[in-house]
Amino acid sequence: MVAAGLLGAVAGVVAMTGTAWSVALPGLLPLTGLEFDVDPLSGVFLAVGGAVAVAAGIFAVGATRHGLDRPGVQAALPAFIGSLLLVPAAGSIGTLLWCWELMALTSLVLVVAEHRERPAVASAGLWYAVMTHVGFVAIMVGMLVAAGPAEDGSFVAVRAGAADLSPAAASLAFLVCLAGFGSKAGMVPLHPWLPRAHPEAPSHVSALMSAAMVNLGVYGVVRVGIDLLGGGPSWWWVTVLVLGAVSAVYGILQAAVGSDLKRLLGYSTTENMGLVLVAVGACGMFAAGGDRALAGLALTAALLHLMTHAAFKTVLFLSAGSVLHATGSRDLDALGGLRSRMPVTTAAFGVGALSASALPPGAAFVSEWLLLQALIHGLPAPGVVPAVVLPLGVAAIALTAGLAVATFVKAFGIGFLGRPRSGAAAAATESGPAMLAGIGLAALACVALAVGPTVVLPTLADIAGGLVHAAPAVTGTVAIELVGVTGVLSPLLLVAASAVGTASVVGGVRLLARRRDRRRARLWDCGAGPLSARMEYTATSFAEPLQRVFDGVLASEQDVDVSHHRESRYLVAAVSYRRALPDRVERRLYTPLLHAMTTWGRVGRGLATGSVHRYLGYGFVTLCGLLALLVVTR
Amino acid sequence: MDPAAMSPPAVALLDVAAGALLLTAVLVVWRRDLPTILRIFTAHGIALGALVGVLAWAQRSVELGLVAVGVLAVRGGLLPWLLRRALARVGPARREPRPVVGVAASLLAVAALVMLAFAVAVPVVELGGSAATRAVPVAVAVVLIGLLVLVTRRHTISQLVGFLLVDNGITAAGFLTTAGIGLVVEVGVALDVLLVVLVLQVLAGRIRDTFGEVDLGELRELRDR
Repeated sequence: MVAAGLLGAVAGVVAMTGTAWSVALPGLLPLTGLEFDVDPLSGVFLAVGGAVAVAAGIFAVGATRHGLDRPGVQAALPAFIGSLLLVPAAGSIGTLLWCWELMALTSLVLVVAEHRERPAVASAGLWYAVMTHVGFVAIMVGMLVAAGPAEDGSFVAVRAGAADLSPAAASLAFLVCLAGFGSKAGMVPLHPWLPRAHPEAPSHVSALMSAAMVNLGVYGVVRVGIDLLGGGPSWWWVTVLVLGAVSAVYGILQAAVGSDLKRLLGYSTTENMGLVLVAVGACGMFAAGGDRALAGLALTAALLHLMTHAAFKTVLFLSAGSVLHATGSRDLDALGGLRSRMPVTTAAFGVGALSASALPPGAAFVSEWLLLQALIHGLPAPGVVPAVVLPLGVAAIALTAGLAVATFVKAFGIGFLGRPRSGAAAAATESGPAMLAGIGLAALACVALAVGPTVVLPTLADIAGGLVHAAPAVTGTVAIELVGVTGVLSPLLLVAASAVGTASVVGGVRLLARRRDRRRARLWDCGAGPLSARMEYTATSFAEPLQRVFDGVLASEQDVDVSHHRESRYLVAAVSYRRALPDRVERRLYTPLLHAMTTWGRVGRGLATGSVHRYLGYGFVTLCGLLALLVVTR
Repeated sequence: MDPAAMSPPAVALLDVAAGALLLTAVLVVWRRDLPTILRIFTAHGIALGALVGVLAWAQRSVELGLVAVGVLAVRGGLLPWLLRRALARVGPARREPRPVVGVAASLLAVAALVMLAFAVAVPVVELGGSAATRAVPVAVAVVLIGLLVLVTRRHTISQLVGFLLVDNGITAAGFLTTAGIGLVVEVGVALDVLLVVLVLQVLAGRIRDTFGEVDLGELRELRDR
């Protein structure tokens, strides 16, 4: 697995620098054959997927040693990694669909791996199986429509034939593909499988799914929309941008109020893919409006954010796996106090959380800064729609960034700092060296992307520029300089400045503290007895203000039960508080849909009465009907 | 040789054989007592053999002549004999128990099916223009009538007859559209059909042992609960 990941990463890096290669194996599969064609865009996704696979593979070695993996997982994991690397390398529609389906099936096997332990796994597996296959059908339909005028299914032919596609057919192909790929990327409202399946899978599988697999949804949108169909009208991309913005805000909002660590990370994936889709949508919109330089900048931001997200999401999910292994719990309200018992995991999660919260020394800051630059510089663009959508996009990104900070402060502060809130958390022990090595590798990647994004940025800008036929939008070796619009940022300087700033503040406070005489005394506890873990902030209480503010969107269900003493109703015996946060999109959209499907199925059951003659008759009548149709329509 | 260049007497004979094929198929739908149905079915097999024989004579093909003899032996001799044995074994019920669709309605349906077959086969007829291709609609009609028998009859022997009608129709269509399918293929198909009939014969015996009668309507287990 590690070797395969390494191979993929190296192949991707090689391809990113411009060395395209292709392989055709026509006889390997019936009907379509296999055709691989790696260009720079594929290279980005190959490199990211390969790198995630290396870290997750090393982690998996440790997980296997601890007996966390079953033979089924060990068999399916390499196949999953292989398909993950083959999807972006596919050079024809048939190959892409084969690899996509292989990826869906192997990941499904991995998601349901622990179905004996928890009943929720089976339900998550069902959601994932249905949604991924409906998505597959959508992609297949969309790609077949797109390939209508092409001579064969290879991407070269489809690209050449796209000019003959009628605008209506092209729009249909794009929208159906967007639905299919978007559901893989966790785009609202096609996201409900993601916060179910990602938490229920074993943690290294969660990392692979959340950091590498969802990227391929974005890959599909870029490949089909920008590359194969050659851009298209502005409203396609406005749709992508709006859906991306909604996903980003909705995802991070759910993450901010959730208290299940892995579910929180899953919703955060929806958020980050939403941001990437905002960038992709902005790129398409600018390209359709003729502003190639800004289009290149937006796409560069999208690719960089994909990379960054892959790095920090790998760290976060693998650390969550390490915590889960040590404490047996994903519930933030039962964790805490892990800093002294699991120092390496805590440090790695801290790095990941910092990267994820889009604050200056973190890795995501650079990509979000690039995205904001693209959107802000696009504001003078002509037309009513951009004038409305772009400011809203900027606002959505700002809101997302703020909520992300709150989310990850909660995840890190409640989950790792403070006092342990349960016996399991108090007895936690650090994970083994292999697991820590996997986490550490990914954390190193986070730090590297935060300090030196300029190492990869010019290459990404080259690739993005090549796709939208523009000059690279970003240059610079130490400082990032935007081309075409004004904007300079030096990540290295920023990291150094914030490091110096933090060090001076901490040092200053220490210095001041040392000057005064310190007196050791018991912390004042209002006279209510010794402080205990029950008095700490929990994830639920931390998120309560946010939940109050956004209650109109979240529609939480709370229940406060106060029971009184028998002697006096002025004396409270116990207070119980229950809160449920149902996914509102799911409840409003999917519950009626599922209900309708069930009814339809029950009605359909009436067709099968058991009579052999009736079954024969169905076939006979259908045949006669078809023949009659043939006669009439000929 | 060119099949379009068929001599007038051969064309007349071909038309007679095709007509007999269709007529016997319609008669199967009309009658309800099983021994008569089997006699009509024998005539149907002979008509099919004759059809192939006429084609062999028109094309002066010895191989096709051999195939015609084989078809005659299997479809006009062996299969009806097997069916008669099966009928003797399944018991005294010699009449089709009330069909799913009444005889009059069935005959009307047959008329509609024949028209449908002729309408569907128009492109094929336009393609060739020879006497053999002009007879293709008859073969299609026989297939459809066989399916109708399968759908509307309850007795297992009637079901077998319906299945064999479908197969005879397919065979006829094969011979009429191509200039002979080839001995090996035809022998293979004949063996397959023979096997199917033997299996179904056993199945009919088992149905009778289990339910005491041979009505397919008794098989109602195959459904959602």
